[in-house]
Amino acid sequence: MKNKKVISIVLGGMCFALTLGICIQIKTVTGSNSIVGESNRENDELRAEVLRYKERYDNIYKDLERAEKELEKERQNATQNNGDLEEKEEAIKQGNKMIGMTEVTGPGVIVTLSDGKKDTSTVLNASDLIVHDADVLSVINELKNAGAEAISINDQRIVTTTAITCDGNVVRINNEKVGTPFEIKAIGSPEAMEGALLRPGGYIKEYLEADGIHVTVKKVNNVTIPKYNGVINWEYAKTIE
Amino acid sequence: MKLELRNRKKGKITITIVLGLVCFVLLFIMFMQFKTVEQTDITSIETMRESELQTELANWKTKYTDVDKKLQEVKEKKQEYEETVNNKEEASAVADKELTEVNKVLGKTDVKGEGIVVTLSDNERSHINSDDLLLLVNELKIAGAEAISINDERIVTISDIVDINTTIIKVNGQRLIGPYVVKAIGNQKYLESGLTAKGGYMDNMEDNQKSMKIEKQRNIEILKYNDELKLKYIEVK
Repeated sequence: MKNKKVISIVLGGMCFALTLGICIQIKTVTGSNSIVGESNRENDELRAEVLRYKERYDNIYKDLERAEKELEKERQNATQNNGDLEEKEEAIKQGNKMIGMTEVTGPGVIVTLSDGKKDTSTVLNASDLIVHDADVLSVINELKNAGAEAISINDQRIVTTTAITCDGNVVRINNEKVGTPFEIKAIGSPEAMEGALLRPGGYIKEYLEADGIHVTVKKVNNVTIPKYNGVINWEYAKTIE
Repeated sequence: MKLELRNRKKGKITITIVLGLVCFVLLFIMFMQFKTVEQTDITSIETMRESELQTELANWKTKYTDVDKKLQEVKEKKQEYEETVNNKEEASAVADKELTEVNKVLGKTDVKGEGIVVTLSDNERSHINSDDLLLLVNELKIAGAEAISINDERIVTISDIVDINTTIIKVNGQRLIGPYVVKAIGNQKYLESGLTAKGGYMDNMEDNQKSMKIEKQRNIEILKYNDELKLKYIEVK
């Protein structure tokens, strides 16, 4: 009889805890929904404004791309039939390639980093399962160390001024929001880069995989990396003649 | 007596089944909940709150202005080439100008401008490692740094920063030892406040007992990348 009572109490307690858990869940979700819902109506105007600006930006960006093509043609025009000038034109083209202003292709690797799918209850710190800005930064650094010549993350080209930041639960690259899974493309020697990334003691083996983050590294004969989708306007640094 | 026992058994079975069903339903609901939460796209504009939308709007406005400025520059350059199409000497001057600009961004020219100088040094309690420098460079870029060097090694697109041992750090393939003098050209105020913000880079360094010093300067000179920038693998499409 006593045994039964104990069982009943335990079961009752468990049911109570479960119900409470579910109630909290439902409350959180509906709570967050209702905030979004309300602001949805209130912020419609703002949202429309954002979209309007995005469209204006897209349009002017197309204009810029067109103008850049025309400039290239005009430059070619002005520099042809003169060895010295053609050399300069080639140098400008090569330079633009290196600073990220043109789309490039070549052999390399494609690395993907995705948040761990492991059951969160089996790890001490659920944050370990998430790919952080510092993780991306470290993988990029290892790729450069292995001789990467051009790199993009989810099609955001890494240029000399590219910063990688944390913004809530997403990462910002070139000020654009980027979420997991992260697809990092790099052009360079596929063997050297793969070897460096997957070496014992490297960042991937030592930290990412140890933390349960899912990593794949694929060698490819040809990978295309888009051009930088921003503009480089330097205001402060002046060339010393 | 027998009947009572049977009834009791029946009761037990019913309870078990009911409990099992309840548990199943509960679990099912929980999984559904998890799935909904997982599917919410956090980068979508539809789910943004007011403050996020404001930031987003400001973001697009800045980007628009930047592109607009660049567009005018490109048009001007194009016109310059047009005007010099029959004069090789003038065309050469225009090309030189454009090449200098490209080389500036590449890191192939010495540059000067306002900015900050950050010095990180080893002390008895703590050594500076490559991660400290990697994060510092990233912080400076967040704050809009245009040119950066570490002990006169210019940071370019392909620059790497790795540890050799506790006292040597390799940048651009060159071995460097402390103190690490990191120069950055950009808006002094943004650069400094980016590092000194509460809970930011400087606080972190202090928490880890690492020595760090920031100095604002009106005129900083940053040397060009020393090596030849030669790319073997990439092709323009």
